[in-house]
Parts: sequence; structure tokens; C-alpha cells
Amino acid sequence: MKDSNEPIIHIENIHKRFGRIHALRGVSLQIQKGEVLVIVGPSGSGKSTLLRCINQLEECTSGKIIVDGIHLDSAQNINAVRQEIGMVFQSFNLFAHLTVMDNLLLAQKVVRRRKKEEAREIALNLLKKVGIPEKANAYPYHLSGGQQQRVAIARALAMNPRIMLFDEPTSALDPEMIKEVLDVMLALAKEGMTMVVVSHEMGFARAATNRIIFMDEGQIIEEAPPDILFTSPKHERTKLFLSKVLQL
Amino acid sequence: MFTRREPKIDEQELTHIPGAEPQNRLDAWWWLVALVAGVIVLLSLLQPDPYWRIILFVRDGIAITVVITVVSFILMLFVGMLGGLGRISKNRVVNLIATLYVELVRGVPLLVQLIWWYFAFPVVIQQIGKWTHISALANFHANAILLAIFGFVFCYGAYMSEIFRAGIQSIPKGQMEAARSLGMSYFQAMRHIVLPQAIRVILPPVGNEFIALLKDSSLVSAVALADLTRRGREFMSANFNPIEVWTMIALLYLVMTLFAARIVNYIERRTKFER
Ligand SMILES: Nc1ncnc2c1ncn2[C@@H]1O[C@H](COP(=O)(O)OP(=O)(O)OP(=O)(O)O)[C@@H](O)[C@H]1O
Ligand SMILES: [Mg+2]
Repeated sequence: MKDSNEPIIHIENIHKRFGRIHALRGVSLQIQKGEVLVIVGPSGSGKSTLLRCINQLEECTSGKIIVDGIHLDSAQNINAVRQEIGMVFQSFNLFAHLTVMDNLLLAQKVVRRRKKEEAREIALNLLKKVGIPEKANAYPYHLSGGQQQRVAIARALAMNPRIMLFDEPTSALDPEMIKEVLDVMLALAKEGMTMVVVSHEMGFARAATNRIIFMDEGQIIEEAPPDILFTSPKHERTKLFLSKVLQL
Repeated sequence: MFTRREPKIDEQELTHIPGAEPQNRLDAWWWLVALVAGVIVLLSLLQPDPYWRIILFVRDGIAITVVITVVSFILMLFVGMLGGLGRISKNRVVNLIATLYVELVRGVPLLVQLIWWYFAFPVVIQQIGKWTHISALANFHANAILLAIFGFVFCYGAYMSEIFRAGIQSIPKGQMEAARSLGMSYFQAMRHIVLPQAIRVILPPVGNEFIALLKDSSLVSAVALADLTRRGREFMSANFNPIEVWTMIALLYLVMTLFAARIVNYIERRTKFER
């Protein structure tokens, strides 16, 4: 079943409707193991919805999603699938009532059922990896946005996911903090993590991937390596969008 | 690390050590509790007849009032939690049941509900027992205190459900989503992430409900339960001194509610946190 040539994420003609809003209109996509895919597109184009369908925070209205050989619409235990898919949110979503360490420990304990010492060691190593081991006992509200987002990445990694989804991980951050988060993500990409990243950071896209997708109005408009997409996009809509983003 | 820190930041961090906040020290309102308690003691010492006699006479009533209040309160927390979860449930049937419960119960006066449970409910059970020929039901006689507790839990549970619903909904959706994305089930996420945060939001209104319940417990005197209020009435009808009796009864309720309010306030401050 898990043929090594099989894409780790296989999406076939999915549609998502929120009442009268048709957020995804026939998206098909394949992502190989170890690949980094960057998604760009204007606000409301369905980027978040696409990511959220992959880990079933939203159920798609029609179409097929296969993650790691498991059909999501017939998955017996969606929690088991989600354990394998880490997600990082624009607004961090650290557990506000728990310390950084407990943020990293909780799911390891209740979902992975790891022993306390083992979970602690994993957590500490990850905090070192994202560069803030000294904040283990701080509460989220004492951290800067960049630090919070790095903790959120570490929290997702603590579950040993096979796939990481990033939904605009740096767009809520002050400019001087963006780099510290992107560096962590780049390191992760270099290690061979499968990543789907919604981000308009062109520098990151150039360094991390050779495959970038432009979405608009719930559809994939075009796909190309970053250099080509950024410099000579084929479609008018892509040009229009890039001209707006690059002006910023 | 510490040497690089500015002293000013140190000071700020000190204020965040749990329990060290200045407002956690006993606040001035405790003096009011002490004052009312002092008045009660003083009256009983200076004029044991009738004040000390009143206290001796009603003390089993105090016990009943306290037991009914505390037991009902603990049970209604569970009902409120279930009702609140039901009100936000995506399951239509669960949601409908919870909503009906809340809407119906809130539309009937508490006193009428208590009387219904006390006088009507046992008869209903007895009738069912007669129809079904189950003698255990036909001879049903419930303990008056249990019926009173049942009535309070049923009624206050509905209000509590709304408090829990509002508290749970006040926690940003991202908290639940982050928990689910880590593979936690809905109930794991509720238990470990949403409810612990909602508790802090819920605490002040829940504390108010406790105090309201303490006062409303006097309604059981209408259904033949010898609580503080009823014992006061009994003492008065034997001794014909309404001023002294009802002043003392009022003072006794007052010292209990003021004390409860301080406890609630203390717990609130202990559990406060920043977001
Ligand atoms: N829970 C929801 N209920 C109703 N409509 C929704 C919901 N989530 C998304 N939508 C709608 O679906 C469309 C796509 O939204 P989505 O969040 O996927 O866009 P996006 O590309 O991520 O935009 P942004 O860059 O602003 O984050 C939008 O029109 C949005 O209003
Ligand atoms: Mg989005």
C-alpha cells in the first residue's frame, strides 16, 4: 500500500462549500514524500481551506484526499491521521494556560502515551532546535510572537509528524521576527520533512522549494518553480497578484 | 541570563509569580464579614435572651441550609457542564434536548418548581407505579431534602448550562483546533485545553450563582423543610418577637453570603491569568 512512488498526499478534485461560498472548486494536487510545496494567492482564494482539508479541520464537500495511503473520508480514526500531520497556525494558538514545556508535553502524553522522561527529553531537544530552551518554563504571554511561533513548531514536531502544514506562519509577526521562524522552517525542509506552506515570503520559497502554486478563487491557477513564477508568470491573474505583493 | 536583565523587567516578572500578586492578600472586605460576625456574637453575649436562644434554636436549620446549598451546588456544576456541552454540540438531538431543558426550566419560577418536585413528583411516580404494578414505585416516598436538592439542581443547572456555554465559547477556536491538529479527540481537547481555560471565565458568574443559591435555599421553607428560615418562623410563632428573630436570621444569612463572596473572590484572584 505504501509504495515509495506513491505521493504522501494525493488530492483529487476536491470541492468545499461553506453554505453559498464555494471556497475550493476542484483542486487536485500530489505531494511527494520529502517535498516542500509553497502556496501563494490572494486573500479568500482558499489556501487555508485547502490546508485544513488535508488534516480534516474541515471536511471537504466532495473529492478524494489520500494521506499516507489512508482515504480520509473513510478513515476510521481521524485522530490517528492527525497525529501524523503537524499544523502551524498564523495566530500560533499556543495553549494559553500551559507553560512552554507543558505545551510540548501534553499531546505527547495524552495522544502518544509517552513516558514523562521520554517526552521531556524530546521536548527539550526540540526547544534547543528552535533556539529557545531557556523559555521552557515561561507562559506563552511572556514570549514574543516569533518565540511563540517557534514553540508552536516545536509542539507540532514533538508528535513526530510525517507531514507539516504551515498556514501563513509569519504574517502575524513583526518584520524583525520573521527570519527566526523562517530559519527554523528552512532547517526542517533541509532535513527532508514533507511540508505544505502557505506563505508570501518569496525568499523562503526560493530557498526551500522548486515548486510553488498560485491559487485564486478556489482553484490552482498555475504551478512553477519560484524563480519562473515570480519573474515570468503565465497567467494574467498571477501577474496581477504578484504586482500587488511585490509592491508591498 | 539573569545578569543581563534590567532590574525593571525583574520587577515586572515578580508580579507574575502565582500567589504573589498584591490583590491575593486578604482584602478589606473581610472586615465586613468580621463586622457582621461580631454583631452576632455581641448580641448573643449582651442579650442571650432572646439572641443566643434563637441561635441555639435555629442551628439545625443552618445545617440544613448549608447542606442543601453545598450539595446542590456541587451537583449543578456537573449538570451545567453537561448542559453547556450539549448546547454547543453539533449533534442535533443532543443540542435540541439541552436547549429545550434550558429554555423550559428558565421559564418557570423556582418556587413553583420546588413545590412541583415536592408535591407533584412523588404522586407522578406513585401513579406510574400503580399503572405498571410495580409496588416499589407505587409506594414511593422521597426524602424531602433529596427532593429539594433535586429541584435546585434541576433549576440552577439550566442557568449553569448557559454560563458554561458562554465560558466555553469565549475560548478562541484556535485552541480547540490546535489541540485537534495534534491528534487529541474532542473530549481530550475539551478536558485538557478548553475547560481549564473556560473555568477562569466561568468562575465569577458561578460564584454569583452559589451566593444566589444560598439565598434561594430559603424557598424550601415553603415545602416543609426545616431550614434556617423555617426554623426562624417556628421560633417566632412560639415567642412572638419578630424583630429579634428576623434580625438575627437576616444577620446569619448575611454573614454566610458575605463569607461566601470573599471565598469566591479569593479563588477568582488565584486563578486569574493573562492571555
Ligand atoms: N468556517 C467558514 N465559514 C464560512 N466561510 C468560510 C469559512 N472558512 C473560510 N470561509 C470562506 O472561504 C473562502 C476561502 O477562505 P480561506 O480562509 O481558505 O482563504 P485564504 O486563501 O486562506 O485567505 P487569507 O489569505 O485571507 O487567509 C473565503 O471566502 C472565506 O470567507
Ligand atoms: Mg488563510
